[in-house]
Amino acid sequence: MNPSPAEGLPPCAWRCSRAISRLLSQTNVSSRERLRTALDHREPDRIPLDFGSTAVTGIHVSCVAALRHYYGLAPEPVKVHEPYQMLGLVEDDLRAAMGLDVTGVFSRKTMFGFPADNWKEWDFRGLDVLVPSDFRIRTEPNGDILIYPEGDETAAPSGRMPMGSAFFDTIIRQPEIDDEKLDPADNLEDFGPVAEEDLAHLERAARAAGGSGYGVAATFGGTAFGDIALVPAPFLKDPKGIRDVTEWYMSTRTRRPYIHSIFERQCEIGIQNLARIHARIGDKVDCVFLCGTDFGTQTSAFCSVGTFRELWFPYYKRVNDWVHANTAWKCFKHSCGSVERFFDSFIEAGFDIINPVQCSAAGMEPAALKRKYGSRLVFWGGGADTQKTLPFGTPREVREEVLRRCEILAPGGGFVFNSIHNLQAGTPVENIVAMLDAVHQFNGVAHA
Amino acid sequence: MPDLDKLPEAVIEGDWKVAAAVTQAAIAAGVTPLAIVTKYLVPAMDEVGRRFECEEYFVPEMLLSARAMKASMEIVRPLLVATGAEPVGRVVIGTVKGDLHDIGKNLVASMLEGGGFEVIDLGADVAPQRFIEAAATRHANLVALSALLTVTMPSMKTTIDAFETAGLREKVRIMVGGAPVTQQYAEAIGADGFGESATAAVALARKLVAA
Repeated sequence: MNPSPAEGLPPCAWRCSRAISRLLSQTNVSSRERLRTALDHREPDRIPLDFGSTAVTGIHVSCVAALRHYYGLAPEPVKVHEPYQMLGLVEDDLRAAMGLDVTGVFSRKTMFGFPADNWKEWDFRGLDVLVPSDFRIRTEPNGDILIYPEGDETAAPSGRMPMGSAFFDTIIRQPEIDDEKLDPADNLEDFGPVAEEDLAHLERAARAAGGSGYGVAATFGGTAFGDIALVPAPFLKDPKGIRDVTEWYMSTRTRRPYIHSIFERQCEIGIQNLARIHARIGDKVDCVFLCGTDFGTQTSAFCSVGTFRELWFPYYKRVNDWVHANTAWKCFKHSCGSVERFFDSFIEAGFDIINPVQCSAAGMEPAALKRKYGSRLVFWGGGADTQKTLPFGTPREVREEVLRRCEILAPGGGFVFNSIHNLQAGTPVENIVAMLDAVHQFNGVAHA
Repeated sequence: MPDLDKLPEAVIEGDWKVAAAVTQAAIAAGVTPLAIVTKYLVPAMDEVGRRFECEEYFVPEMLLSARAMKASMEIVRPLLVATGAEPVGRVVIGTVKGDLHDIGKNLVASMLEGGGFEVIDLGADVAPQRFIEAAATRHANLVALSALLTVTMPSMKTTIDAFETAGLREKVRIMVGGAPVTQQYAEAIGADGFGESATAAVALARKLVAA
């Protein structure tokens, strides 16, 4: 968990990254313009970079700490702003050092249902970090860490981080299911009108982000429709309805009217909330991470295109149509895995952006994706592999992969550089820096 | 005599209630447990695997079929044990230490069981010593390790190394799988095989026990 010492890096790498940081500060194009140009499928002066603007384009806290150390930034403990995946907050000084172009507006509450504020110190298995004051945990005799929903230690814990892991996983709390008594309202406890304190938080955050000069990606929640990470509701003290992951997947086949009832109501609430949020923040944000429901596996999909169009498509289209009719926001869709088969439907449903572009999955060859969809879908990700190259490769292998991806995905715009999903714990800082330096080098060659 | 063709149909369609009812009726009518497994359940799960491979079936359908097959196996298994019938092979399976992801592992376990293997499922977050103890006490000839996270993939190597240290490596064949795992990684850590999918894992397991 300790950051890798910068002293261990070749001096040329150390100097190169700093030289790039200085160079990046000398530009006439704002990061926000750069992002907007890319999102409009026009080629910007250079590829915009994102790390940390959403919970699917983020950085594990241990890697944030390592990067801060590498760049010689103030050695302060990193804030774990999303404890579920143990994502570290990318502060402005690190954003500048890494040469990033996008900042984030996040929901007030974390995945465990407590606000990300009132920071306190925590020793995360040897790494000093900051966590929200309602981050309440219990360490088991075997070293596993249990976390409580809404910080309520009288409730059953809703997450577990085993020894040997660096992330929480949801503890399934599935009440006995009686099909005769199943009520869609039980699965709708998660979705209600956005509270005034949440609106006020979003307004403050959007104002700060909108005035920063960076491009802005926002996350409001409530419009994913069956995101399997959210189904078990780790943020609720006493979830009801269908909360078991396996049961939910089976229900998409066997209880389709029930799922439709949930989605129908969720869609109504979601659009009402988006309207209230937009009334407060306007177009201070450039894109909205609306949906993280995964439709792909490493080698296949979670459902057929036909099922997608019957069960999900109508709700996505309604949400995206509302966004396009009433805001200047771009619609951001995340789905891991082998999902090329869904791209035409994603586009037809109104999604503008796809993430993480998992090129390592079956049928996700980047050149073919760019050729077929590059003018209609923004690729936000796909820049470097987080399953193999970044955690286990050499800096040279990382660099070669990044340069290849940039050559393929950058022409004509429609590309925001990000790795394929969050930078995972255990990724050598040398590899992260090699990735960033390669993008900056590409940008310098192509656009300087 | 019940209409036994309804058993594979129920497994393929994922109807666990019918699968259990037909199995009960078949046992009551004197059909041997071994015949239920080899003539009905194994071909049914082979068909489920085929449909998955050609993308006629996806994860939800696989889960439903696995549940139906298990409903039948729960009736048949104790009777099978009593007859002393030998399975195709004995597999100890689990998600490695530090990793709580088990859907992929569960699908592989179900497909192996549906393929005629005796499956000893240790669950998720399984320490190397538990794999070793289970393999030794249950006389397993196969060990199947799953991981979803890059941070827990090294636990696969730790587990294989622990079999070496315990002097049991030559007694079992070890197969690995999971989203970030590759053939190259399997070879690098000394595994005997890599299964890219649940159906590939069954084919691999059959090959390994036949070798």
